[in-house]
Amino acid sequence: MEFFGQQLVNGLTLGSVYALIALGYTLIYGVLQLLNFAHGDVYMVGAFIGFFVMIGLGGPAAPMVPVWLMIVAMFLAAMLGSGILGVLIEQFAYRPLRNSPRIAPLISALGVSLFLQNAVLLLFGPRIRDYATTEYIPIGSGFSIGSIRLDPMRILVVVLSVILMFVLVRLVNRTRFGRGMRAVAFDREAAVMMGIDVNRVVVLTFFCASALAGAAGVMVGLVFFNVSNFMGFLAGLKGFTAAVVGGIGSVGGAMVGGLLIGLLEAFATGYLSANRPTRSPSSL
Amino acid sequence: MSGDDSSDGASVDGAPVDGAPITGSDAISGDPGSGPETLAVSALNIGTDEWVAQHETRTSTGHGVGARVNALWMSGPAAVRWGLPLLVFVLFPVLVSDGYLLRIGVNLGLFALLALGLNVVIGYAGLLDLGFVAFYGCGAYAYALLSSDKLGVHLPTWLSVPAAVLFTALIGLLVSLPSRRLSGDYLAIVTLFFGQIFTELVLAGDAVSLPGASDPVDITGGANGISGVSGWSVFGFSFNTNRSYYYLVLFFVVVLVLGLGRISRSRMGRAWRAIGEDPLAAASMTIRVNRLKLLAFVVGAGIAGLSGTIFSAVQVGVYASSFDLPMLILLYAAVILGGSGSLPGTLIGAAIMSVLPEVLRQPTYSELLFFVGLVAGVLWILKPKIGALVLAATVAVGFAINIVLLAVGVPYLSAAEWTQGVIGELLGRWLFVPQDRLLWGNVAFVLLIIAVAAFSRMHGRAKMWFLPLLLWLSVFVWMVRLSTEASLTRQLVIGATLVVLMIARPQGIFGKQRVEVL
Amino acid sequence: MSSPQASSPTRLLELSQLNMSFGGLRSLQDLDLWVDEGEVVSVIGPNGAGKTTLFNVITGIYRPTSGDVRFDGSSLVGANPTDVASRGIARTFQTVRLFLNMSVRDNVMAATFGQTRAGLWRSALGTPGARREEREVRARAEELLSFFGTRLMGYRWDQPAYSLSYANRRRLEIARAMATGAKMLLLDEPAAGMNPSETHEITELVGRLRDERGYTIMVIEHDMHVVEGVSDRVIALDHGVKIADGLFDEVAAHPEVVEAYLGRGTAGTK
Repeated sequence: MEFFGQQLVNGLTLGSVYALIALGYTLIYGVLQLLNFAHGDVYMVGAFIGFFVMIGLGGPAAPMVPVWLMIVAMFLAAMLGSGILGVLIEQFAYRPLRNSPRIAPLISALGVSLFLQNAVLLLFGPRIRDYATTEYIPIGSGFSIGSIRLDPMRILVVVLSVILMFVLVRLVNRTRFGRGMRAVAFDREAAVMMGIDVNRVVVLTFFCASALAGAAGVMVGLVFFNVSNFMGFLAGLKGFTAAVVGGIGSVGGAMVGGLLIGLLEAFATGYLSANRPTRSPSSL
Repeated sequence: MSGDDSSDGASVDGAPVDGAPITGSDAISGDPGSGPETLAVSALNIGTDEWVAQHETRTSTGHGVGARVNALWMSGPAAVRWGLPLLVFVLFPVLVSDGYLLRIGVNLGLFALLALGLNVVIGYAGLLDLGFVAFYGCGAYAYALLSSDKLGVHLPTWLSVPAAVLFTALIGLLVSLPSRRLSGDYLAIVTLFFGQIFTELVLAGDAVSLPGASDPVDITGGANGISGVSGWSVFGFSFNTNRSYYYLVLFFVVVLVLGLGRISRSRMGRAWRAIGEDPLAAASMTIRVNRLKLLAFVVGAGIAGLSGTIFSAVQVGVYASSFDLPMLILLYAAVILGGSGSLPGTLIGAAIMSVLPEVLRQPTYSELLFFVGLVAGVLWILKPKIGALVLAATVAVGFAINIVLLAVGVPYLSAAEWTQGVIGELLGRWLFVPQDRLLWGNVAFVLLIIAVAAFSRMHGRAKMWFLPLLLWLSVFVWMVRLSTEASLTRQLVIGATLVVLMIARPQGIFGKQRVEVL
Repeated sequence: MSSPQASSPTRLLELSQLNMSFGGLRSLQDLDLWVDEGEVVSVIGPNGAGKTTLFNVITGIYRPTSGDVRFDGSSLVGANPTDVASRGIARTFQTVRLFLNMSVRDNVMAATFGQTRAGLWRSALGTPGARREEREVRARAEELLSFFGTRLMGYRWDQPAYSLSYANRRRLEIARAMATGAKMLLLDEPAAGMNPSETHEITELVGRLRDERGYTIMVIEHDMHVVEGVSDRVIALDHGVKIADGLFDEVAAHPEVVEAYLGRGTAGTK
């Protein structure tokens, strides 16, 4: 039971992260019918930005600002940086291909993915970076329900994801931008004729999607510590699975799919390969 | 698409076209549309159709040296166009005795085989198979298991190779069965997962709990792979040199090119292309869409499996890392670079994509390639006079930056510390290489990306003024940082090439421009 | 190809009590209709009347919710589009669906798939049988293209289909349907988007398809001049229900048809 509970917590944490990534895939797919294979790498870059903000603020051992402020700064910087990266990718790698055959943007996306992975490798080296969260959040902190321990970072991740998703849903359903987005998703040409600035909608969509991925990157760093330039591909793949499981293009589906994949992975790794410690959730 | 020609009237259209021989021998019924009203415009002897059809020729005919060479080449008889390269490839091992070069030749051949297989799936049938490399792996592992000490099995080649190929084709069938109703993006997703699952299975296959066995059994060797795979041996001839494998691979490439060329022009090829164009219309025209999709998958998988068996034998071992995503991207790059759907395009794409990484591995060659490419590119795209000016300006920019950085007092490396070869002699006097190559290189790399982005947004004269700076920056980044990181540079170059290629020429070098209804 | 005119008309296509619903929407309701061999039957009706749905049901794109479609003595229910085409019903599409990047000749040759046999191996090896088949199919395609006069002849054979004008695309689509070896052609708005002289030509073409080639034809058409010109019989649909069936003049004067086209109220005044 204890093991089950712990895996449930793990699954929810992982699931939140996947859901955020899946949302990005879904948003972009919904608006442009494009499988953005570089999305996982945007997430990876987000994790790196978070890491370097932490280092810039004094590092895990001796932060110069209060810990909560540091974490807020990490999230904000990662979201902003990833968002801008996403917009740039759209501008330079996808926009010129809007009217090309379907396969062109896919290949371009693979190219961007390869480029980002190796650019990060070039700039920061192959060393795996450690968020070392335990240095500033004591291991014993948080609280327990029965024998199940809920550490503060896991709670933060789940709560923050829920908030972000809530904001996104409001954005899509209640704002002018959201209306534009749904209109473009429904019929791009008709949207143009209705006076909707499609490019603006696409840029904002990429920004939101990528910012969510950036946040997910920091979350993974905080909970599972390790970030490397290759973490994007597999996480992207799983977020992508989540998006597909939930029905690609559907916002609610992406959330459900993300949670499902997260839980599935936590229990699968927990029960099936307990004798294979190398395959811990952190290998995502 | 129909927008530009829908206004075409019957009158223009119905006018007899001069110089268009009517070759049908059957009685041709009178043209019902050419009433008196058409006579008025029959002086127009070019139909709109013709005009549209010539579009590509009109727009893409260059005046440079390249276009002329190409025209000359294409005017030659097919026998020469295919025979001459073949002759070169047949003679290659005779002229070259360097084992390394021969090995590159073998890899090129393997790559060509794979590209030919992938071309069937994506080029003909238009199925986006992102798990293709896993089929290559299946073939390699199947062969390795049947001809190594891993399971203690050493089947003769005439058994093990067909078995491995059939096994791979079967896997191809199994993967495509559930996805036969899928198309486009969804197929891509399913196959991508298959590729991932394959890698995971192979990596986890070193501890498989079999029913009846108490301890986990090691089948695939996990991350260590399988070593000691025996080579091919046919009719008493053992393949054990790179040269022998080179000819083996060449043989298969020739056989496949001949076979696939015929298939492409046959009813099967037409049906595949029809499915790629419009599955519903194809189904309504008596084409068995699902069955042919499966067939394309199976044929592609089979070819990949065959290449896998050879790969495994040449390498004397198999490792999961050979069948990962970068390999897939490289393969796609090859097929798409050449122009998917075109056999010569696929072969040339494969040649570029398998030789390029090797060239980039050698600093001297990669430098040479970089500078030749840079200068040629500038002269090719710009008018010669402006191109020369830009290059001169780049040289000037280099010296100017030299002076500034020296004046500021940045520690630098003397030319002898970093140059090599002929180009190095010249470069050493011009390029400033700071001592801290890592830092300066990284900063310059980021700046270069920003500069390229900015450059693509500029227009007219600003572009010309900016170009020398951009060129200098790219030389700086290349020499200071990238040339020391061969494998990384390779991936970066391939990634960037894919993006640029898609934007500049999505149909590939040899592909025909395609029209797609969105 | 069957003889142009059967001595005594036989029912080639017969639909009985056909229903097709999508969720709650009943696109076709208890439809009974038939087409005799050698007949040209037009299907008319306002937009949304279920005309294209009817074609999609007959050609196996949709499976009817209930009812039967019999063609040439056997049921087509459950057959997929390929089977339907192989059994002798070929169609064109309202939005022309050619294989745009294939040559004009290849478009037509591709449709002979169901009548040819050479598989992968025989094609790859280029066996005499495969080559003979290829030659025959090629000649057949060229002969079919010649049916359209000079419009799809000569240099155009080797050009990609996307280079054709709109009218020629429609013609090529008909040629492609003919190449399937079908007995019956379903033409979905063959004259849509054509100018008057092209429309006139299509009218003649449909007649020639029946008279010279012996096809049984079902046409969806909005242009009443075309309908009048080509039809042996006209069937009018409205909201998935057959409201009239008969000669053009009868159907055109039928009060329900007038009502369907012009709206309620007008019918009474006429």
